[in-house]
Amino acid sequence: MLIEIAHFLSILATGLFFLCFIFSFFLNSKDIYIINLVSRIYTHSFLIFLSSFLIYIWLAITDNFSVLYIAQHSNINLPVFYKVSSIWSAHEGSMFLWIIFLTFWGAIYNLATSNNQLLKARTLGVISLTSVGFLLFLLLTSNPFETILPLPPENGADINPVLQDPLLAIHPPMLYMGYVGFVIAFGQAIAFLFEGNPEIKWEKQVRSWSVASWSFLTLGIALGSWWAYYELGWGGYWFWDPVENVALMPWLAATAFIHSLSASSKSFILRIWTLLLSILVFSLSLFGAFIVRSGIIDSVHSFANDPERGLYLLSFIGLLVMTSLLLFSYRFNHLLSNKKIVSLSKESFISINNIFFGTLIFSTMLGVLYPLIYEFIYDQKISVGAPFYNAIFVPITLIACIFLYFSIDSKWQQSFNFKSLYQPLFLSITASSVIVALAFYKFLIVNFLTLASLLIGSIIIIRYLIVIYFYFVYRKFANFFSIIAHCGLGLLIISIALNNNLSSERALNIKINETAVYKDYQINFKNLRVVPGPNFDSVKADFVITNPNGKVFTLTPEKRKYFARGQVTTETAIHASALKDIYMTVGDQLDDGSWIVNIQFNVFIRWIWFSAIMMVLAGLLLTHSLSRSRS
Amino acid sequence: MTVLIRFIIIVITLMFFSFFYLYINDDKYYPGADFTISDMPDFEIKDLYSERLFNIKDLEGNYLINVWASWCITCRVEHSFLAKLDSKDIPIIGLNYKDEAQDAINWITRFGDPYKYIIHDYKGELALDLGVTGAPETFLLIDGKIIVHYRGEVNDMIWDDVFMPIIKKESLFDAN
Amino acid sequence: MLTKFFLFSTVIFSSFIISESLYKFDSVEDEKRFYSLIKEIRCPKCTSGSLASSNAPVSEDIKSKIIELIKEGKSDQEIKQFLSDRFGNQVLYNPGFSKDTYFLWFAPGLFLILILLIFFFRKRT
Repeated sequence: MLIEIAHFLSILATGLFFLCFIFSFFLNSKDIYIINLVSRIYTHSFLIFLSSFLIYIWLAITDNFSVLYIAQHSNINLPVFYKVSSIWSAHEGSMFLWIIFLTFWGAIYNLATSNNQLLKARTLGVISLTSVGFLLFLLLTSNPFETILPLPPENGADINPVLQDPLLAIHPPMLYMGYVGFVIAFGQAIAFLFEGNPEIKWEKQVRSWSVASWSFLTLGIALGSWWAYYELGWGGYWFWDPVENVALMPWLAATAFIHSLSASSKSFILRIWTLLLSILVFSLSLFGAFIVRSGIIDSVHSFANDPERGLYLLSFIGLLVMTSLLLFSYRFNHLLSNKKIVSLSKESFISINNIFFGTLIFSTMLGVLYPLIYEFIYDQKISVGAPFYNAIFVPITLIACIFLYFSIDSKWQQSFNFKSLYQPLFLSITASSVIVALAFYKFLIVNFLTLASLLIGSIIIIRYLIVIYFYFVYRKFANFFSIIAHCGLGLLIISIALNNNLSSERALNIKINETAVYKDYQINFKNLRVVPGPNFDSVKADFVITNPNGKVFTLTPEKRKYFARGQVTTETAIHASALKDIYMTVGDQLDDGSWIVNIQFNVFIRWIWFSAIMMVLAGLLLTHSLSRSRS
Repeated sequence: MTVLIRFIIIVITLMFFSFFYLYINDDKYYPGADFTISDMPDFEIKDLYSERLFNIKDLEGNYLINVWASWCITCRVEHSFLAKLDSKDIPIIGLNYKDEAQDAINWITRFGDPYKYIIHDYKGELALDLGVTGAPETFLLIDGKIIVHYRGEVNDMIWDDVFMPIIKKESLFDAN
Repeated sequence: MLTKFFLFSTVIFSSFIISESLYKFDSVEDEKRFYSLIKEIRCPKCTSGSLASSNAPVSEDIKSKIIELIKEGKSDQEIKQFLSDRFGNQVLYNPGFSKDTYFLWFAPGLFLILILLIFFFRKRT
């Protein structure tokens, strides 16, 4: 009964959102009465849709297995937290969550934006139209409200044990919040283009929304990476999997976008870049949704195959993106600014930044599409993986960072102040060379790219430290958001380079009570015990590790066998420290009674996520500062 | 200049989306079928039942190689189809993949032997050279050259759509 | 239950025995080559993922074969050729540098240079 109500509410919301769109685009969107009307309809639509979702959550918590999706993905024995997160563990439910977040961003935009704002109605209209498109997709091809009646099962299936993890439960919501948050910028851009009045400063309006979404997206990707590291058992944190790439592209576009926004919101410069990027970010998010849910790309992430779904999504997204780009291509020349970009000004550096990011997006898309195109033409399979992406990303990122370094001294709409360049340049080159020399002598690093990465990463950080120094001593202006985020970037480059170069692993063969030695560490296989868990049985292997300094600690990797599906998973054991992670997994037992045990030393890996956190922090602080200055 | 940019944007977007449209609609019937032609790799492995060693010189002419194992559940399902092929005098050589000899013999005794003879590839060495990734997999060889490598269960439909076109074309096996 | 059986059947030593590494290499370099190679080779049975991330039986077989080939003194290129001959080109995450892939490798650089040139030489209205 409840499920039917929820279903009805979603259908009703779809209709209301559609009405919202119609009113905003076919009535005079500048009439305050219409804006009020559209705003009110939107609020009602959202609340109705939200109620539908809340009912759905209630049904999941109360184990209502007459709902097919809940029966397929939840189970009486699951802790409540995982009953809720099981909702977004597969296609239909996660699509539901996606649309909730989409409309939610619209709702806060609605609340926070005054009705005097000219573009508000049409922005809400675009958001509504997008929601309608996805709602129709949900209700017609991926209905989460289907029931198993009249005889619902007593219990559901267990969800994939790999999915029963707190981090993994949060990773999709964070990602989705990031992806769909850019609908606001997209909507405003479309509304702006439609209106055709170049005087409207739409960029200022969207800045806080966009930076907030960017922060969520960065966080979502970082969480996914961290989860993959400790859960999947082989110690990697980024695999250039097609679905990861398809999440990376919106992030790249979003990063370029927020930089371009900072220029355009100050003056009428780079407006065309900013407009194009706002369409691109959201389009890439939608494209990502299409790729993951249509099943055309093989990936461990993809949801189940269904060409019908793929076609629908392709058509809807294609229509939306093509219309926006058509609109852009017909209106952009009205927006050509009279202002030129001053040579070597901050704006020119941002333009170059846009070009670099554009190249990275292009390259990623090329890598993702190449196997498909190749197969289509030659009927043969080909794979494009890490070697390609690393070969492209590393040099381009390093060169872009050199430009970043010089951009620190650049000024808005003014030419470069060479005088302020030389002293800090000398200082930062010297200091970072010392660091590189240290790395060379202490860690015996000879790889050119690693050393280059170390140099460039540290040069950026040191330069910003100098900026901070000047701020405190000479009261010279410092943009702390920029400082934190870019130092995060520098740290990221350094950590990835060191991690790549210095990490190592070995597969050991140990019997109980034996000791192996790896890199001066003693690894003693102390004990093996069988421990029952809530919905699994686990075999835990206790290892006592003694480091070269004599310090002792235990690691307990395990293997679990889940009752419901009989699936066996390995749980890693990690000893984390600032310098490295000691990472162990236990494999199979051999005929002679010995066990295969994998040990890895992952150097500086924590710093990779720490640098991502720095970027997220910078984004959140900036969002806070921007929204304060709005009101 | 503006017109050029407009043109580029529209054309690229159209190409992009039409590619996906075509790709989705392109029916890839049998992703498990590989029609790359290659030579049969050299090998020396013993027969399942005796100490007799087989090598590549024992394989001549046209035949199928079927990769199977007693631990492979799908193989049990495929078995009845192989029996049907055997009854039509289509020569199938069994490649017993990473299986204990006794388990394999028990399996054959229980379910029947559709094979001309069975090679016991305990370590999976020949299988590796053939690019086998699991069981069941089936190869069609013409004059000692691998013409088809199918990964997955062979049944009436797969046989008709993947193997029969070539069999008819080359008039193999008395063209049934 | 099988694990419990193994548990009971394990012989427990009370002495301090040094155990060995599972994959035996002739040198540290070889070991590094191995771990680097298995990241670049795709698991032929999995939907996606490298050999390093897979413990499918065929992946384990291929890993053992790689070690054997390393021991025989084969180069990385020869090992990759060996595997792509048997499992197809798609098993290499590095699609190689051939006339089929020139576009893939050159396009990013060309794209960057092209756009930079347009940017630096654009007509300023």
